[in-house]
Amino acid sequence: MTFRTRLLLIFAVAVAAAVGLVELVDSARTREAFEGVEARRVDAIVVQFDREFKRRGAEIARVVESIAASAAARDIAIAPDPSPYVDQAAVIAGTHALDLLELVAGDGAIVSSAEWPARFGYKEDWLTAEQDWKSRGAFLKREEVPDGVTLALVAVGAAVYSDRRLYVAGGQKLDREFLASLVLPQGMRVLLYRNLNPQFAPSELIDAAGPAARAAELRPLVEQVESARRQVIQTVGSGATAETFHAVPLTGYENNMLGVLLIGSPRRDLVELEAAMLKTAIFVAAAGILMGIVLSWWATARITRPVQRLAESAGSVAAGNWGTTVEVASTDEIGRLARAFNRMTHELVDQRERLVQAERVAAWRELARRLAHELKNPLFPLQITVENMQRARENYPDQFDEVFREGTATLLAELANLKQIIARFSDFAKMPAPEMQPVNLTELAAETLKLFEAQLAQARVRAVAQLDSQLRPISADPEQMTRVLRNLILNAIDAMPQGGTLTVRTLALSPGARLEVSDTGQGLTPEECERLFTPYYTTKTHGTGLGLAIVQSVVSDHKGRISVDSEKGKGTTFRIDLAT
Amino acid sequence: MGLMWSRWCAATEVIVSCLVVAAAPAATRPHYGGTLRIEILPAAQAPAAVGVTEGFIITNWDPGLRAVFSADDNAPGGRPFLDTIDIEMARPLRDQSVDLELGRTDLVELGPNELRRQTAGRRVWSSSPVRLMALVFGPRIDDARVRQALALTLDRAALNVLLQRQGEISGALLPQWLSGYAFLFGATADIAKARSLAGELPAAARTLSLSADDPAMRSLADRIALNARDAGLTVNVVAPSGNPDVRLSEARITSSDPAHALAGVAATLGLGESPKADAPEALYAAERALLEGFRVIPLVHLPVVYGVGPRVKGGPGVTPLGEWRFGNLWVEDRP
Repeated sequence: MTFRTRLLLIFAVAVAAAVGLVELVDSARTREAFEGVEARRVDAIVVQFDREFKRRGAEIARVVESIAASAAARDIAIAPDPSPYVDQAAVIAGTHALDLLELVAGDGAIVSSAEWPARFGYKEDWLTAEQDWKSRGAFLKREEVPDGVTLALVAVGAAVYSDRRLYVAGGQKLDREFLASLVLPQGMRVLLYRNLNPQFAPSELIDAAGPAARAAELRPLVEQVESARRQVIQTVGSGATAETFHAVPLTGYENNMLGVLLIGSPRRDLVELEAAMLKTAIFVAAAGILMGIVLSWWATARITRPVQRLAESAGSVAAGNWGTTVEVASTDEIGRLARAFNRMTHELVDQRERLVQAERVAAWRELARRLAHELKNPLFPLQITVENMQRARENYPDQFDEVFREGTATLLAELANLKQIIARFSDFAKMPAPEMQPVNLTELAAETLKLFEAQLAQARVRAVAQLDSQLRPISADPEQMTRVLRNLILNAIDAMPQGGTLTVRTLALSPGARLEVSDTGQGLTPEECERLFTPYYTTKTHGTGLGLAIVQSVVSDHKGRISVDSEKGKGTTFRIDLAT
Repeated sequence: MGLMWSRWCAATEVIVSCLVVAAAPAATRPHYGGTLRIEILPAAQAPAAVGVTEGFIITNWDPGLRAVFSADDNAPGGRPFLDTIDIEMARPLRDQSVDLELGRTDLVELGPNELRRQTAGRRVWSSSPVRLMALVFGPRIDDARVRQALALTLDRAALNVLLQRQGEISGALLPQWLSGYAFLFGATADIAKARSLAGELPAAARTLSLSADDPAMRSLADRIALNARDAGLTVNVVAPSGNPDVRLSEARITSSDPAHALAGVAATLGLGESPKADAPEALYAAERALLEGFRVIPLVHLPVVYGVGPRVKGGPGVTPLGEWRFGNLWVEDRP
């Protein structure tokens, strides 16, 4: 991954994270604000509903009081036989819009019942138990009706005439009609659970349209309110169908738990608003991220362009163009880096020139030293031989011929030695350019190794050939490569004066091929390894120090690479990698 | 009026409370002409079922809706005063009462609820108690203890209150005025015994369904259900359709001959043929035999009651058995 890509990725992730975080915080705070507003609205509605409920109760109490004070009630109260009035309650209830009305005599016997006309004569002892019904106002009560039990908002009034008393107990059923008559804001609904059975009965959970839907979902809430006997606010359901309920316990005049009123506020609007906000947030975030990526791309391009130029220049320097410079376009860190780079390459060029000069001087000095050394050795016998011959001529003329013959032979031998030394130097100087052709290194190695069989046997060296028969031909000069291999084999033989194992190995590279020559000799120190390819450096007593220099020169001419691995006491391996 | 009263009493030879006059006799003379407008609840499917017989012939018949009778000039007893009798059928009792009050009709049936309404100018013609209200058990209730338990829960006085005390409480099939021994049949409740009987019953047998043939009698059914609950029986009042365990039914006394009347009632209530009985003792035994086993529980005997508008003069137009007699009626447009 390039620096630019990495930078772009970091910028993009940073932008996305920032936008996402902002959207997250913004959404959370907006939702919180909306829910706060919604909660306040519902609270206000609950208060309004509570007022409406109380107003209904007060209205019922007022109606009941008016009935108790009416002439009809008086007639019934003072009638010696109230049985003719058995249907009167229904008539009165109808005219006063009451669902329930019972006219009860002072002894508690029902004179007339609107909701259950057949119940006349039955006792309503609870009415006679309390004396001051007027101050109690309306209250909730379970009421038996012909088709079961219902919950009603009831008030009691009493008409007293001398020793005759008539109780008027009237009210309205808390049923779907009652719920439908309540004024509620758009979208809200009110449900009533009538606690008329020992267990939760879904059919007793009603709304203005009848049995409430999703009754089972509300069961835990109803049971919680019944258990806690206090208002509970809870959200039921999930998503757009979720609804927040204010569940208010409804207790009767004996503080018994008669029902639960549930005021539901749908969260659909809120959920839809949140969904819209989320959609907008996603859109804005996507746009922000896209814009961030574009800006990041532009910014990274601006930032990485000089870095890229620096990298290219560094690559150029690495390729040998030491004089490469970069354009300095700014005064920031990048600009300073560019200036430093330019200064570095400038100094590199200077140092290289100085180094070349120093190496050249050193090389000439080394050459001169080697030449002097190499030439000095044969010259000394020449000088001694000539001086012996002069001394013999002057002092021992009779032996001069003998001395002359021996001296000339020595002179010729040393001169031949001098010629050989000069020829080697001449060879090193005259290394020709390689003539490339397809060469199978495996075959070349096998043939070369064969030439050394006798010499190896004499030196008690065991030859091991690990040659890759599948090795593909490479482009090389066969003569020079043979010379390279020969030098390496001779070096290996020299490295194992007590005998050992010589291993020649070829193997394929991708691309190219590798040639390895290993010995089991004494090995080299790291310092020796470093200087091994320096011309005229040798660790041998009889070497010129040009063999490995020639090897390196040939490998270099083949665009190859030579390296050496050696461990003192275990042997040395020369490794040559050549391209195809 | 006095003549007619005497004649009817002589004809039936029974003590009746057939005439209740709310207004003073009109100081008018009988005359021919006019139409007597009548509204009734039943939807008769045959002219004979309407009950107009003497002196009139059917001239227009719309089954279940309307019937028009015209005076028969050749009637054996002479031509009636009225020209026509126009009868509208299947008219609810409440609407009939309103129509009478508004002067849209001249003769209507009065139920207990309508009877209580005080209407100016309205007269009431009432027969003897000839309508038997009774509980009739279906074949599913084969355990006599269930039937007896329910019978013992019944508070007939309360039922009569719901009927505006029109009826006579009775534990007999035939009314007291007809048989003379009706009081011998017990009609009092015994809740303790009923509870004891119900306690012996399996739980499933303690639940019954009850329907009233006449929806107007729904309040009676409700009261019966309440009474039953006091004894531990569960009586569910259901719609008349279907096959309830118990039916609140009505049987009409159609004959002043007790034996014939008993046979008619027995047939109406599905009790089969009653034994032939000429002597009062035999009749009593026959009736007791019919009531044995509590297949039928008599509750109350009710009269047939009609409200009569101020246009109608003469009468009464109802016999003690509740039959119509319109031959001596005439109408006046100006009361």
